Amino acid sequence: MDTIDRLLGEADQAWRGYGVGSADRAALAADLRLDLRAAAADGGDPAQLIGGDVAGFARRLADEAGVRRVRGDYGRILGTALIGAVLGVVLGYGLLMAAYPAFVRMVDIPRSIDVPVQLAVAVYYGIPAAVVITGAVIAVRTRLRDLPRIRRTAQLMSVLMPVAGIVITPITVAFAWATGYSAAPPVVVAEIAMVLAALAGATVLARRLSLREGRTAAETSHADATRVKPA
Amino acid sequence: MCRMVAAESQPIDDNDRQTQLLRGALDMCLLALLAREPAHGYELVRRMETAGFGAISYGTIYPLLTRMRRLGLVAHEQQVSPTGPPRKVYALTDSGRVHLDAWQKQWNRFTDTVDAVLCPLDHNPTRS
Repeated sequence: MDTIDRLLGEADQAWRGYGVGSADRAALAADLRLDLRAAAADGGDPAQLIGGDVAGFARRLADEAGVRRVRGDYGRILGTALIGAVLGVVLGYGLLMAAYPAFVRMVDIPRSIDVPVQLAVAVYYGIPAAVVITGAVIAVRTRLRDLPRIRRTAQLMSVLMPVAGIVITPITVAFAWATGYSAAPPVVVAEIAMVLAALAGATVLARRLSLREGRTAAETSHADATRVKPA
Repeated sequence: MCRMVAAESQPIDDNDRQTQLLRGALDMCLLALLAREPAHGYELVRRMETAGFGAISYGTIYPLLTRMRRLGLVAHEQQVSPTGPPRKVYALTDSGRVHLDAWQKQWNRFTDTVDAVLCPLDHNPTRS
């Protein structure tokens, strides 16, 4: 890899972190590559020309080019989702405690009816999980409404988080089985971490997909306004 | 011609002063250099140095060129070079010429005003 490739690689990383879309990154890089190659042919050292702060140069270039930036704000989204999920747990638990006696009185299943254990497990774990996910999605949708594409992010979260929950549940159960259903704190913490990691992964994926959709739409409909014209 | 008076007790950071002055005039100077002859980015860096501005980094000039292109003041085209890779050569647009003309007049007015303010300093003794 030559110096120009390395510099463009560093610049691309900086543009990614700065929220510059792929088409804009490609256009900026193509222009810069052409200029640096011309400079190198005239005896200039590309690394010296850009200087030590390649990322700063790349961000300045993106600003001056007027490219559209959309930041991921993954930290804020994850934090807000976690707060929403915790509130969902608290609220769901409170509602369950309040409504449980009423449910028992209203739905008195005769002992002659055999409820499949899978259904019982699905209801028992599914309802709390749904409350947790709903809390996370509502929190993200309402508290972060100033973020671009947040509506689509919340929509995708509402799909991907249940999927993540369904995928991680048997894995967590298998882990619990492998550890003899131990209640030792490290084991329980590991189980909780596995579930949280899956939900966090789903949240990040939802955000990433929503931004990608947005960039694709913006690049096709507003290309002239947001993109540096390719050389 | 007016002469600047420097306070001897307080050293002046020439580089900072030069940077501040250049900040308000760099885009105009780049347009003026491109008005004389189209050039690619690195060539402009060298022309600025030759013009007497000292070493202005490529990292300053290239983003500025990109902005001026976004604003429609300059346009670029690829030119085949007999000695190397194709060159992205920048040239002034019609809008760039109009802006350069307006900025040049504004600059002249500004420097006239500054000169008028500074000239009396020649005739007044400096307080210690």
